[in-house]
Amino acid sequence: MAAAAGDGLPEAATRRLAGGAWSSGLSVSDFASCLDMGMEPVGYVQGYAVLQWSWFMATGGFGMGMGGRLGVAGGWGVTPQRGGQYVEQWQCPHGFVSAEHRMYGANYELTWLEDSWASGWGLATGRMVDEAKELGATGVVGVVDAMRPLVGGTTVEFRASGTAVVVPGAPRPATPFSTYLSGQRLAKLIEAGFAPIAVVATLSAVRMLGYCVTHYQLAGSTAGTWYGSGAGGVSGVGPVDQVNRAQAAARRLARERVRAQLGADVLHGAALETSEREIGEGDLSIQCTLKGTRVRRFKDFDPLPDATPVVRLA
Amino acid sequence: MTLRDEVRQAVAAVGSPAPHAGGAGGAKGTTSDLTIDETLLLHSAGWEPVDLVYGISWWSIPWGVWQWTTGEVQEASTAFTGAVDHAAKQLRQSCEQSGGSGVLGVEVGVRVSSHHVSIELTGTAVRRTGADSHRFEFVSDLSARDFVLLTRAGWWPLGLAAGASFVIAPRRTAREWAAQQGQNVELPNLTQALYLARERAMERMQQSGTALKAEGIVAVKLREGRASSSARVIQFVAIGTGVHLRTSAHRTVSPELVVPLDEQVRAFDVKGLRRAPAGRRSGGGPERT
Repeated sequence: MAAAAGDGLPEAATRRLAGGAWSSGLSVSDFASCLDMGMEPVGYVQGYAVLQWSWFMATGGFGMGMGGRLGVAGGWGVTPQRGGQYVEQWQCPHGFVSAEHRMYGANYELTWLEDSWASGWGLATGRMVDEAKELGATGVVGVVDAMRPLVGGTTVEFRASGTAVVVPGAPRPATPFSTYLSGQRLAKLIEAGFAPIAVVATLSAVRMLGYCVTHYQLAGSTAGTWYGSGAGGVSGVGPVDQVNRAQAAARRLARERVRAQLGADVLHGAALETSEREIGEGDLSIQCTLKGTRVRRFKDFDPLPDATPVVRLA
Repeated sequence: MTLRDEVRQAVAAVGSPAPHAGGAGGAKGTTSDLTIDETLLLHSAGWEPVDLVYGISWWSIPWGVWQWTTGEVQEASTAFTGAVDHAAKQLRQSCEQSGGSGVLGVEVGVRVSSHHVSIELTGTAVRRTGADSHRFEFVSDLSARDFVLLTRAGWWPLGLAAGASFVIAPRRTAREWAAQQGQNVELPNLTQALYLARERAMERMQQSGTALKAEGIVAVKLREGRASSSARVIQFVAIGTGVHLRTSAHRTVSPELVVPLDEQVRAFDVKGLRRAPAGRRSGGGPERT
């Protein structure tokens, strides 16, 4: 967190939070549900962070983050590097064909991009929680977050906002809880025995630089079949192994990273989103975000009766 | 205990030390994309979520298959079938690794481009509450609600059944084109191509269900439309969940008839809410899960 609450908040924010009418981002029905639960809104809180941004940094090309051996003969070359960073390499099975032939290919994790995203998201949500602390809040409900391009495609803004609430009669945690939930579903979550702890999110990014076989497959070429599948060639219809490994790795990394933040807690309402960008013929950049609310069990499920099927005659 | 008491108890847990994965009872963090309603419903039926699981597969389609032909593009259909099988296999492996017995609420992403088909499957692995061992049993795109209803009726999901057909609509001959000018008449070339493609997609889905040893396929979703790569290519994709009967006969589910007496849109009464007893619910609104 770049700045402590108060010191780092804009002057207008400090004034706004200091007094006057409270504000809330809750809908009327969510507001009603929160009052029912004994949560009183004390203010609309928000956090922002603008970062200089590039999905394709010049230093992020082939070689960035690559510490493994090139020249692994054919097949998979699984070489996790740098404390678990994902790296895999492929080598052309055809032998020397021409100077333009893609002799090597690699899938590797873009740790600089992941770190940048984690930094931006962490700053925005951290500032939002700092505003809640400034208000003496117990937690922040109905969190909405986003990342959007800002100016000229080279800057992005991370934003997070929600409604700070207090729970009279409850101990105030050192760090207010935060959750994407509000209203009725938050009430059900608590009744089911889960306490909201914090919103969590992560981005995993994998770049795939295709070797000749992947390049042929993504271009629809059957050139690689000259050598037969035993020699690394591909038939016209078949799995694109390098892409499949990269796609699976992006999802696995996102899940592992979120899991590392959970301990024995639960990620509720997980939302997994992926996107790809083609950065050149046969080359892909794959991003995967995983978000949700970290919740902790504070009591066992109350025994539930079998649900009764009903037909509404409305 | 009232809802307000429970909220205070929950807030007290926020400040408590975080439990460590692998601590007492070997507990580990779980991830789930189910809503709280689905989690509660599954719990009432003796199931619990374990982990978010996925399977993804890209299969290549060779150059030229879309250009110099009419009728079905066999290579694209083969690539689709291969990609679905491959992604489903990954999903199953992912489920088994996480200790789940089945996967529910699978979202199926299908993309077809000139040179590849990609299939993306994402769902939540679930297992029986309190069971010591978990044998893999099913993959299904049914929601938790549909799963509970299906099993209550004596049926059981087995796996995803899918089929596809990609067709290039044949052109009319010059004579046909000329003869049909200015008339509202059937275009047999298009009718036959589309009819055939639909039937083939459904047939392949049923074959896929038979391979699963399913007696039937429920919740079939048909997707159709023009492929992004060519306006003349029409694609049909059929996906559903293969099911079989686990009991000797279908069990009739007899729902209770309910006549709701509340209004669809309820007014918000601040005064009433402030005096409302703890635990009373107000009208719900659109929320995130």
